[in-house]
Amino acid sequence: MVQLLGVAALLFGLFFSAVGVIGVIRLPDVLTRLHASGKVAILGLFGLLLGAALLMPSSALRLLTLGLFVLLTSPVATHAIAASVYRRREIAQELAQEMAQDSAPAQESGFAGVNVTAVLTRSRIQDIIEAQERALRHRRPDAADKSDQQ
Amino acid sequence: MIENALAQTAIQLILLALVILLIPASWRVVAGPTLPDRLAAVDLITTLLIGIIVMLALVEGTQVFVDMAIALAAFAFVGTISIARYISEGRVY
Repeated sequence: MVQLLGVAALLFGLFFSAVGVIGVIRLPDVLTRLHASGKVAILGLFGLLLGAALLMPSSALRLLTLGLFVLLTSPVATHAIAASVYRRREIAQELAQEMAQDSAPAQESGFAGVNVTAVLTRSRIQDIIEAQERALRHRRPDAADKSDQQ
Repeated sequence: MIENALAQTAIQLILLALVILLIPASWRVVAGPTLPDRLAAVDLITTLLIGIIVMLALVEGTQVFVDMAIALAAFAFVGTISIARYISEGRVY
C-alpha cells in the first residue's frame, strides 16, 4: 500500500516534469518559459522526492531534506534569472532613449539615423534585447578601452 | 531494492522517461534565442538530473546517490545565481 502511494507520487512528479518541459519548448517568451521550468522544480521534483521517500524509507529523511532545500533554493534561482531579464530590458530602454537624444542632431546630417528609428519604432521585445546586448558590450570597460585605442 | 515487481518496472520506466525528457531541455539550451533562455534551460536540466539521480538510487537500491543529488542541488544553486548575476550586471560579484 505504501509502495502504491510511492509509485503514485512518482507518477505525479513525472507528469509535472513532462508538462514543464513541454512548456519550456512551446511557450513564446522568456518569462513564461521560466514559469514552466518553475513547475518542474517545485511540483515535479518534489513529487519524485516524496515518492522516493515512500519507496525507500531508510533514506527518507535525507530525501525530504533535499526536497526542503530545493523548495527553498529553486524560487531564488528562478527569481535571479527573471531579474536578469528585467534588468536587460531596462538597460535596453535606457539605451534606446539615449540613442534617440544623441541622434536627434545626427539625423539631420544623415548619420546613423536609420538604425535609431528602427530601434525606436519596433516594439517587439526581441529587438529590444538584441539592442541591449550591444549595450552590454559597449558598457564593458575592456571593450570600451579597445574601441578607444582603435 | 524494491521487491514488488510492478513497482520495480514502474520506477524503471519513470527513470527512462526522465532521461528522455532531457533531450527537449537540451534542445532549448542550443536553440534558445537569448542568454537567460539558455540559463533557464540549464537550470531545468539540473533539476531533471537531480530527479534522475534519485530514481537511480531507487532502481539500484544505493543510498549514496541521494547524497550525490544533495551536492548537485547545492552546486547548481550557486552556479545559477552567479551566472544570472553575470548576465544582469556584467560581472559576478
